[in-house]
Amino acid sequence: MVADVEVADGKIASVAITGDFFLEPPEALDAITASLRGVPADTAVVNLAQRVLEWLPKGTEMVGFTAEAVATAVHRAIHHHAPRERA
Amino acid sequence: MTAPTDAASRWTNHEWRLIRDEPTAPRLHMAIDEVLTQEVGEGRRPPTLRVWEWSSNAVILGRFQSVRNEVDPDGAARHGMTIARRITGGGAMLIEPQNAITYSLYAPESLVKGMSFIDSYAFLDQWVLAALNSLGIDSHYQPINDITSDKGKIGGAAQTRRAGAVLHHVTMAYDMNPSVLLEVLRIGREKLSDKGSVSANKRVAPIRQQTDLPRETVIQRLIDTFRERYGLLTDELTTREREAAQALRVEKFETDDWLYLLP
Repeated sequence: MVADVEVADGKIASVAITGDFFLEPPEALDAITASLRGVPADTAVVNLAQRVLEWLPKGTEMVGFTAEAVATAVHRAIHHHAPRERA
Repeated sequence: MTAPTDAASRWTNHEWRLIRDEPTAPRLHMAIDEVLTQEVGEGRRPPTLRVWEWSSNAVILGRFQSVRNEVDPDGAARHGMTIARRITGGGAMLIEPQNAITYSLYAPESLVKGMSFIDSYAFLDQWVLAALNSLGIDSHYQPINDITSDKGKIGGAAQTRRAGAVLHHVTMAYDMNPSVLLEVLRIGREKLSDKGSVSANKRVAPIRQQTDLPRETVIQRLIDTFRERYGLLTDELTTREREAAQALRVEKFETDDWLYLLP
């Protein structure tokens, strides 16, 4: 999985999560990215994961990745000063 | 893996249809998959096995993959690759028509009722393992979605569910050209550098490494095995389905909005 993150004014301005995972329904990806936009860039992984879980539509099936994996990839992308980071 | 005792009846409760394609353009294949899933889900078509033929080289990206992270544009152009995005998740597939064996199953969700997403993958490909093993090709399932042998990965499955139907499609490597893979897919290169000197074809172990049988013979055994186990009536796309797929190809699968959905 790859997280592409842009930070502006100390907040996550945009985020794209891509990779070879499975997600049903596919539209749940929009909820995942929406959950992260506007969040302070120094948010801890556990809290990022919590937000992702809270925003996921009920009944979403994630195969091959988890909210924690998304949060970890986003966190790394922000803190390693790299435009993106492979998880 | 031993099938539960009710497994066969789940299949034979249906009158399965077989569609064998003429060579078909990659993005039209994507559209046919979406249309037939919908048709089966809405009860207009009986459950169907479609065996694909490809009319060109292609890179087929998973629903959630980024084009630029996966595909080397120069390598893809050099090898005449059509880039397409499918409606199922999972990883990129490199297709050379003579080297790929691809099929789709379209079935009501009742076929896999009560099964987890993960269990349903192995369940829907049991007949394939039986067919390969009957030809002396060692194969087993490696969860979540790989058909594999002791030598390496033979193929991968992907699923999605919509309109009350499950789409389960699989591409297996009959043969492969590792240098093309490395030039076209970035992932191949990363695996290479991750593992130092290991070549990309270590991970993929095409059927051809285990048998001299022609591709067509393997495909025929797949079909015969399905027919013996579950029954199979020869069918073809209806005019309506063909027209709907052509329309969807233009309106969706050929568009940059879809192809670069995740740039």
